[in-house]
Amino acid sequence: MNTANIRNFSIIAHIDHGKSTLADRILEYTGTLSAREMEDQVLDHMDLERERGITIKAQSVRLDYKARDGQTYMLNLIDTPGHVDFTYEVSRSLAACEGALLVVDAAQGIEAQTLANVYLALEHDLEIITVINKIDLPSADPERVKTEIEDVIGLDTSDAVLASAKTGIGIEEILEAIVQKVPAPTGDRSASLRALIFDSHFDSYKGVIVYVRVVDGVIRPGMKVKMIATDKRFEVTEVGIFRPHLVGVDELGPGQVGFFAASIKNVKDTRVGDTVTDAERPVNEPLPGYRKVTPMVFCGLYPVESSEYDTLRDALEKLQLNDASLIFEPETSVALGFGFRCGFLGLLHMDVIQERLEREYNLALITTAPNVIYMVYKTDGEVLKIDNPSHLPTPQEIDRIEEPYVKATVIVPNDFVGSVMELSQEKRGEFKDMKYLDPTRVMLTYHLPLSEIIYDYFDRLKSSTRGYASLDYELSGYKASDLVKLDILLNGTAVDALSVIVHSDRAQYRGRLLAEKLRGIIPRQMFEIPIQAAIGNKVIARETVRAMRKDVLAKCYGGDISRKRKLLEKQKEGKKRMKQVGNVEVPQEAFMAILKMD
Amino acid sequence: MKLGVYIHIPFCRKKCLYCDFSSSARDVGRYYLSYTAALCREITGRGGVLSEYTVDTIYFGGGTPTLFPADAFATMIERLKDCCAIENDAEITVEANPDTVNEDKLAALRGIGVNRISFGVQSFDDGVLKAAGRIHSSRAAKIAILTANKCGFDNISLDLMYGLPEQSLASFGESLREALALPVHHLSVYGLKVEAATPFGEWLAAGRLALPDEDEEDAMYSEVVKFLPEQGYHRYEISNYALTGYESRHNLKYWRYQPYLGLGAAAHSFLKGRRFANTKNIDEYSAMLGQGQLPTNEEELLSIQNAMAEYVFLALRTADGLEYIGFKERFGIDFIGRYGEVVKEMTAKGALSQDKRGIRLTSVGMKYGNVVFAAFLPE
Repeated sequence: MNTANIRNFSIIAHIDHGKSTLADRILEYTGTLSAREMEDQVLDHMDLERERGITIKAQSVRLDYKARDGQTYMLNLIDTPGHVDFTYEVSRSLAACEGALLVVDAAQGIEAQTLANVYLALEHDLEIITVINKIDLPSADPERVKTEIEDVIGLDTSDAVLASAKTGIGIEEILEAIVQKVPAPTGDRSASLRALIFDSHFDSYKGVIVYVRVVDGVIRPGMKVKMIATDKRFEVTEVGIFRPHLVGVDELGPGQVGFFAASIKNVKDTRVGDTVTDAERPVNEPLPGYRKVTPMVFCGLYPVESSEYDTLRDALEKLQLNDASLIFEPETSVALGFGFRCGFLGLLHMDVIQERLEREYNLALITTAPNVIYMVYKTDGEVLKIDNPSHLPTPQEIDRIEEPYVKATVIVPNDFVGSVMELSQEKRGEFKDMKYLDPTRVMLTYHLPLSEIIYDYFDRLKSSTRGYASLDYELSGYKASDLVKLDILLNGTAVDALSVIVHSDRAQYRGRLLAEKLRGIIPRQMFEIPIQAAIGNKVIARETVRAMRKDVLAKCYGGDISRKRKLLEKQKEGKKRMKQVGNVEVPQEAFMAILKMD
Repeated sequence: MKLGVYIHIPFCRKKCLYCDFSSSARDVGRYYLSYTAALCREITGRGGVLSEYTVDTIYFGGGTPTLFPADAFATMIERLKDCCAIENDAEITVEANPDTVNEDKLAALRGIGVNRISFGVQSFDDGVLKAAGRIHSSRAAKIAILTANKCGFDNISLDLMYGLPEQSLASFGESLREALALPVHHLSVYGLKVEAATPFGEWLAAGRLALPDEDEEDAMYSEVVKFLPEQGYHRYEISNYALTGYESRHNLKYWRYQPYLGLGAAAHSFLKGRRFANTKNIDEYSAMLGQGQLPTNEEELLSIQNAMAEYVFLALRTADGLEYIGFKERFGIDFIGRYGEVVKEMTAKGALSQDKRGIRLTSVGMKYGNVVFAAFLPE
C-alpha cells in the first residue's frame, strides 16, 4: 500500500477517560473484529488488565477504513497505558506514530495525566486530535472542557470531536479526522531497512516477537537483519501485522506497523528503542530512540519456600521478556534467604508484577517494603547507590544521603486546595506553583520526595480530596535529606528485610507504628516474641507478641489415632505459609507492613 | 506377641455437656444383655486373630462401663479367655463413674480379676461438676474411691479436668489436693476442649458459655505440671501422671505403637499396620454380629509416611519420647536422616530436646504438642 494511505496513531488519556472503550468502538466500526469476537477492552489481554479496568501493556492493531473520500486507509492504532507508572510505555508507542487522539472526559476535564501525555505527544511532534468523550453523561460540559484545553494546554479545540465511546457517537468523525489530519508517514521503499522497535513479547514457539514501525525500506521473511545497538544478527522467519491477533503478511513497507520473528531466544537482543536494519546493507545511523527506562521503585522479592528460588528466577525472566522496564538481580537476605532485588516503574507496576508472579506462576512470595534509590556520599569520598535499606553504611561512614525528588502535578477542585497543601507539606513537599484551570479547578505543583509518594501520598491524596484529585509526577533530581535507617528486631535479632530508610523527623513515629502493626501481624508462637524498633543502637519502640495458648490434644479416645492424625493434618493445612526468620515465623504481609500503617 | 484389648461400653446415664465420645444415654437395663451378647459374638468372630496373641491388658472404656453389672464383665472376660491366652498379671482396667458403683459392685469387679479402676471425677467442686453436667457429687466421688480401695483396688486412677465453666484456679488447685488425699495412684488431667457437636459447643458459639480466661486456664495448667510431679506423680505422658510403677500399661500401648484390638461399638483397633474401627451405631453393631458379620466399618492401611508420622507424634506424647533405635527397627529408616530438619527447627524453638538416644518434648513442647506433631506430618 502506498504510504499516503497509511495513518499511525495512538490514543492518550488520563486513566478512566474512556480510552479502551474508544479503541473497542473503533475496532467495531471498522469491522476489524466481528461482533462475535468483540468483548470489552479487546486490547487488554491480561486478566489483570480486565479486572482492574486498566491498560498495562501497550497493544497494536491494524484497521482498514474506507473513508468518505472513497479511499481505503490503513490505520495502525497503538494503544497506550494511562497510569503514571507506565508513562514509559506511552512514550514508546508515541515514537511509532504521527498522530494521537487526546481523549478527555467531558465531565471531568483535564487531569494530571492528560497534561503529561500531551507533553509527551508534543515532544514527539505528533498531530493531536482532541476528542471530548462521554458527552452522553448528564454532567458533561464539553464547552468548559474545551476552554480548559485551550487555556491550559494551548491546543485549538475548534475542531475537537465530541464523542461518546459508550454509545458510539462521533466514531466516524474521529476516523475521518485521523485520515484528514494525521500526516501520512514518509519513507523510502528503496532505501536500506530502518525500523524502530517499540515493543516485544515472547512466544514459546517463535521466540521473541518484535514489534516494529518501519521507517525506510522493507522487511520480509528470509531477510538477514541486524539490531544496531546490540549488533545481533538474525534471519527473519515471519513478518506480520496485528489484527489484533497476529496475522502473517509478505512484507512490511515504509510507514507500516507490524511484527517480525527471527528465532530470537533472548529478548535482551531486541532492546526496545533500538533500530533494526538490513544486515547485508546496514545503515549506521539509528533512529532516534527514547530514553532508557529507569526503574524508580525497588523491593526485594523472595519465595516463601526457598526451594522455589529457581521457579521465581525463571518467572521473572519470562515476565521480563514482555516487560523491559522490569529489572532484577539476585540478592541475599539474612532473614529471607535467596531472592531478588527488583526495580519497577512505580507501585502499580510492582503490584502487577507481584500479582502476575503469584497468579501465573503459582508462587508464594514475600515482598519487602518498596524503596527508592538513595545516593549515599561517604566520608571517604565514595558514592554509593543504595537500593536496599539494609545496605546503608553506618552513620559514621556517611557524609550525606540524597534522595530522589519528583515534580508532582496535582489537579483538584479548589475546595480541596487546602487539604492538598497540608498533605504535601506533611510529606516534606516544596510548593512550586498554583494555577487556576478554570474558576473551580486548580493545578498545584510541588517538589516531593519520591519516597513519600510511594509511601502513601497518593492514597491520602485521594482520600483527602474525596477522589477528585489527579496526580502525575516525573523525576526532578536528587536532594540531600536527613535520613536514617529504622531497624526492626524480632526476638532480639535485627531482621534486615524489615529495615527501612525514613526521614529522621518521622523515624520515632513510624518506628512505633511499625512495631505496633507487626504485633498485630505476627501470630503468637510457642514463646514470647519481643518486637523492637531501633535507630542505630537506640530502641525507640517495643511491643510483645505473647506466647500462644496451650495447643495439645489431650484426650486419648480408645486408641482412635486416625482421628488425631486428621486433626493434626487439618491444623497443618490451615496454617498459613510463613517465613522462618530465626526462630520466628513471620507472615508475608509483615514485610509490607510499613506501607499499610496510617 | 502381646496384645491390648479395648472394650467399649457406649452407654451413659446422661451425657456430659462437653462430651462428644460415642455413647448413648439410653436405658442400659434393657440393653446390657443384648450388647454383652453381641460383644461376646464379636470376640468369637475375632477368635482367629486373637489366638495369635497373648493379651496383657484389657481396658473397659466408655461411656460409663460401670452401668453394667459385674457379671457382664465376667462374661466378656470369660469369652476372651476362650479365644486367647490372658497373662496372669494382665492389667484389667474398668472406667467408672462414682455414682454407678457401690461396695458390692466394686468387690465383685475386683473378684472377677479387674485390678485397676479409673474414676471419671473431673473436679471435687460441686458447682463445677454441676455446670459440666456430671451426675455425681464430690462426696460420692470420695466415697467411691475409698470404697474401691477398701475392696482391694490398689491401682486407682482419677480423671480431672481444668478450664471448666465456673472453675477457678483456686477450685482446681483444691481438687488436685483433694485427689492426692485419697488412695490414688494415677491421674489423667485434661484441659477442656469444647467440641462443636456438644451442648458446650453450641453455647460457646451462641456466646452463652463462660469459660475461665486464657490466663486463668494457663495458670491451672502450670499448677498441674508443677504440683503433681512435686507430689511424686511423675508426668509420663502429656496428660498423665503416676506414681512409679502405676503407669497405665494399656494406654502406653497406644503411644508405643503396639497392637491393640478394640471390641464393641465404635472401638478402634491397630493390628499389623492396619487401623480399623467398628460401627458407632449400637443397633447396627448388634445386628451385624447377629447376622454373623464382623462390625468393622472403617479401615485404613497406613502409608509408610503416615505410619512414621503417627509413630513420632505418639512416641513424643510420652516423657520417654522417641528413641532412634526403635524407629529404625520398625521402619528401617534413619530417624535423623528423615526428620533432621524438623528436629533442628523444633529444638531451636525450645520445643524438643535431643540426645544420642532420641528426642523428647521439653516442657514448652508438651504445652504446644500439636505444633510439634504437625511439623512431623508428611507435606
